[in-house]
Amino acid sequence: MPITDDMILEATQQLYSRALRKVPEDTKAALAEAMRRETNETARRTLNMQLKSAELAERKDAFVCSDSGVPVYFVKVGSKAELACDFKASIRKGYEILVETIDPPLLKHVTNPLTLERGYHGKDMPIVSYDFESGVDYVEMVCTPKALGSGRWAALELFTFPTLEQIETYILDVAIKAGAQHCPPVIMGVGIGGTFDHCAGLAKKQTLRPIGKKNDDPMLAAMEERLTDAVNALGFGPMGTGGDTTALAVHVDYSSGHGFTPVAVCFNCWINRRTSVRIWGDGRMEWGE
Amino acid sequence: MTVREHELVLPLTESAVRSLAVGDTVFLSGEIFATAGLPTHDRLLRCLDGDEALPFDMKGGALFHLGSLNEEAEDGSHHIIYMNPTTSTRFNGHMPRLIEGLGLRATGGKGGLSAESAEAMTRLGCVYLSFLGGGAQIITAAIRKVTGIGWPEMISHYRIARIEVERLGPLTVGIDAHGNSIYDLTNAKALENRSAILARMNAARAAIGKP
Repeated sequence: MPITDDMILEATQQLYSRALRKVPEDTKAALAEAMRRETNETARRTLNMQLKSAELAERKDAFVCSDSGVPVYFVKVGSKAELACDFKASIRKGYEILVETIDPPLLKHVTNPLTLERGYHGKDMPIVSYDFESGVDYVEMVCTPKALGSGRWAALELFTFPTLEQIETYILDVAIKAGAQHCPPVIMGVGIGGTFDHCAGLAKKQTLRPIGKKNDDPMLAAMEERLTDAVNALGFGPMGTGGDTTALAVHVDYSSGHGFTPVAVCFNCWINRRTSVRIWGDGRMEWGE
Repeated sequence: MTVREHELVLPLTESAVRSLAVGDTVFLSGEIFATAGLPTHDRLLRCLDGDEALPFDMKGGALFHLGSLNEEAEDGSHHIIYMNPTTSTRFNGHMPRLIEGLGLRATGGKGGLSAESAEAMTRLGCVYLSFLGGGAQIITAAIRKVTGIGWPEMISHYRIARIEVERLGPLTVGIDAHGNSIYDLTNAKALENRSAILARMNAARAAIGKP
């Protein structure tokens, strides 16, 4: 049986709605672990309050944050998945239905950058990236609503044949510039190499990686450890009132490229909004975070 | 070190404001004003210029960078469904004049304000209170009554909501009325630590043979 438009409509709505209400389990565990290690009393209290806020939102089925962001989706189509749907049209329609029916309603955050007019809809909304996966019989969709607080501090720089020292210094400097404006403790995503566009995508996808899972590449695993320690040594702390916990994790990926090497850095705030679903043709929908 | 905790009733007196220090915890009860709109801040400045009247008497008040979904019921009463802080540094250009012009005793949101605002706060007796970003349920729970909505023709989070709150908090004093800013302190400390952190990273790389 093929995957239908109705399944995509349902997934588009549910993914967004769930992302606004529930902080992922791995993120809550990382906040709890940070609270155990944190030496600054105000920071411990803030971490405790973050966990309480997450618990309240979950229990009341309400939003964790008022900035519901702009809709961002990633779609991966399995090579063995049978499709009978118009992905682009269904995601757009699913988002339209969501905006009209979600309880409580969303605030108007979608902004025309030329006129600064705000609403629920606009050019290129929702923002969707498509990809393929070999050998699997499902479609995977991920939703990660992006808000202003953490969205505005992402940065990208182009280097030529940089050393690891140059790359890591740049990443630390992006973290210094962001300071505590992005609702820390954050999850940092880093992309190295490829091209301008590809590198930004790598960084973004690294914010979606589960926390606590060691990078398979030993060189990147060591870099992640160095960067996490370095960013936390800056001392901004939860919500910027000082402390040992500015980043819950730094996740890095790389791509081959030419000698011009982009380095991209982006952030997810502490509520780390991300939800996923795998959809099979027989109607099964396996929800994840 | 134990964190000092204060239960404060609004409107705040200058002496109450001056008794607060960076890092203190505060719970607020009484009337606050809330908006998250950049166009709202532009409009407030135009009010100070005399182009338009303020929607409320805000003198000596508490104006926070909080965005809310507010709705009007059939009987004309207003309700807030959820409310949460926005990034205050977006209003760095507005706040020094607003603090002075409105005689604000408290402002706040998340992320702090610039040194120019901190200077105005010291001179005039005002504090910046840090809210938990992503704390919508905790913050909304402190709302007792929405007593007015200013500029209802604007979109929800741009309007100015006048709200009665009870024990709104815990909030952290981010900038006090004595020239201390937790944001300036942490930024300065981060910059001061930068070379030592980079040296540690270099040593860690060298230890595994990766220059």
